[in-house]
Amino acid sequence: MNPQPALAIKLGKLELAFPTLMGSGCYGSGEEFAPFADLSKIGAIVLKSVTRLPRLGNPTPRLVHTPAGMLNAIGLQNPGIEWYLERELHKYAGRPCKIVGSVAGFEIDDYAYVCERLAARDEIEAIELNVSCPNVAREGETFGCDPDLTARVVEAARATTNKTLIVKLSPNVTDIVAIARQAENSGADALAVINTVRGMAIDVETWRPRLGNITGGLSGPAIRPIAVLAVYEIAQAVSIPIVGQGGIETLADALEFFLAGATAISIGTANFTDPRIPERLVAELQAYLTRRNIASIEEIVGRAHVEIATAHQYEGDEG
Amino acid sequence: MIGMAMLDLHPRVAATTILERRELADGVVLLTLHAPELANATQPGQYLMVIPPSGEAAATALAVYEAEGKRVSILFFVTGKRTRELATLACGDRLDVLGPLGNGFDCSGDTRDVAIVAGGVGIASVWLCARELLRRGAHVRLFYGARTAELLVDAQRFADAGCELVLATDDGTRGERGFVTDTLVRSQRPELIYACGPSPMLRRVGEIASGFGVRAQLSLEETFGCGVGGCWGCVVPLSNASAQAPSFPPAERGGSDVVYARICKEGPVFWAHELRW
Repeated sequence: MNPQPALAIKLGKLELAFPTLMGSGCYGSGEEFAPFADLSKIGAIVLKSVTRLPRLGNPTPRLVHTPAGMLNAIGLQNPGIEWYLERELHKYAGRPCKIVGSVAGFEIDDYAYVCERLAARDEIEAIELNVSCPNVAREGETFGCDPDLTARVVEAARATTNKTLIVKLSPNVTDIVAIARQAENSGADALAVINTVRGMAIDVETWRPRLGNITGGLSGPAIRPIAVLAVYEIAQAVSIPIVGQGGIETLADALEFFLAGATAISIGTANFTDPRIPERLVAELQAYLTRRNIASIEEIVGRAHVEIATAHQYEGDEG
Repeated sequence: MIGMAMLDLHPRVAATTILERRELADGVVLLTLHAPELANATQPGQYLMVIPPSGEAAATALAVYEAEGKRVSILFFVTGKRTRELATLACGDRLDVLGPLGNGFDCSGDTRDVAIVAGGVGIASVWLCARELLRRGAHVRLFYGARTAELLVDAQRFADAGCELVLATDDGTRGERGFVTDTLVRSQRPELIYACGPSPMLRRVGEIASGFGVRAQLSLEETFGCGVGGCWGCVVPLSNASAQAPSFPPAERGGSDVVYARICKEGPVFWAHELRW
């Protein structure tokens, strides 16, 4: 009998036993989900983004359920890096999975400062740079929408740590591939593709936007094809690993991302349907690879890449 | 629950089986579940995240209506896709839920004269509260409002258990015509108020409690994301001095005197005087 297929993967220096990350902002600190999910069966938790200063977050309502997904506009609510290091971070020690910190900011210096402080802690094994939050009034997403600003943020963060740096990209751009290339060239170890897609919903009774922030970020199965395409195109342009994310709920969804070129997947909104989905996906991936006699998940990464078939020349009577 | 943060409530994933399905009114469904581990652990005002059997939508937050022996029940109005799916379930079907969740009502005091205010489906959150208060010997007045008489579901059940009923309907088909809070404000001052219902009703209950000079525990409703505290989607502004406030620096440390607390985690029940909404 063959040995169990290998699900372990690497993102830069970050070694994960399973190719599954829990998306930032969807999974709290992990403790919230611990009663319902086996954290030893997931690769890593990406913590909620932290900023230099405390942020109250957006006014309510912050969530709207929409067809095949949901809109959110939380607004990076967090206690700020000082309070976070002092009061929160110790809780993450001893988790049965890896912990990835997430950094958001409004100035290049903010990113560098928070990244340095966070990465210096042993509880944190890698850093995700959130240059793509669509729900903050000022420059939050601007960094991820401009290749040069992306480059400057990544370079600044890179200078502060040797730990794995994952850059989370926004789909709300004209050319996500160009930004992915810049992030790679500036020192990113991996790319998280994609953050939420901007959207809005209007209450037709009150004639008002349904979100307190007016606009929000769309997640869930509604954005999956957008995310699969982004992974597919970026995979052709960069050589660093990609964490694919956007509406992954089932084995078939996960496989789409691996085949498009993702080395790992991130699960966010699906945890709101059933917190057992991540461990179920790992078991199903394992069974899938075994059934197909594939030794490791890495063997299927990017296997969907093909040339567009050329249509046969029509050779009719009229010549 | 308020003032009992140390109590370990042991939430879990529970695989339940539907024992009974009843329609209490058109579009109002009561499901009774076989769930011994939940029945013992549930406190008044706690809720469940009900995992949709189809897996095709986010889980739904529903109050535990009743918890007795090995059974818990959930009572809901069919209002959208998710409750429509739950309404199609039949006896013998399996239903997985997370729970019991949240900090519910504190019924531990020795208050003698309490008012419970329920609006619409808010009635589902207050049965366990009423039962516990009655058990402790309190005189319980239930101020219960709904759109129309048919939707004042299970009112008689509360009366039979010993509650004094004050009813109101929007269309006047049963009880007083108008808002249930209009009956509350004209009533004799209770020592403590418990309430669950739509946000405008709860705000008004808070004002009335303040006018009476009494405290009120409000069970809030909001669109939930994860329902377990992970996403910060369902929040309400709360005094940072509240024992229920989430960890956030005070104003003198660059933070704030008012913070957004998670209704699913720090709540759903908050003291009215600590809310800043």
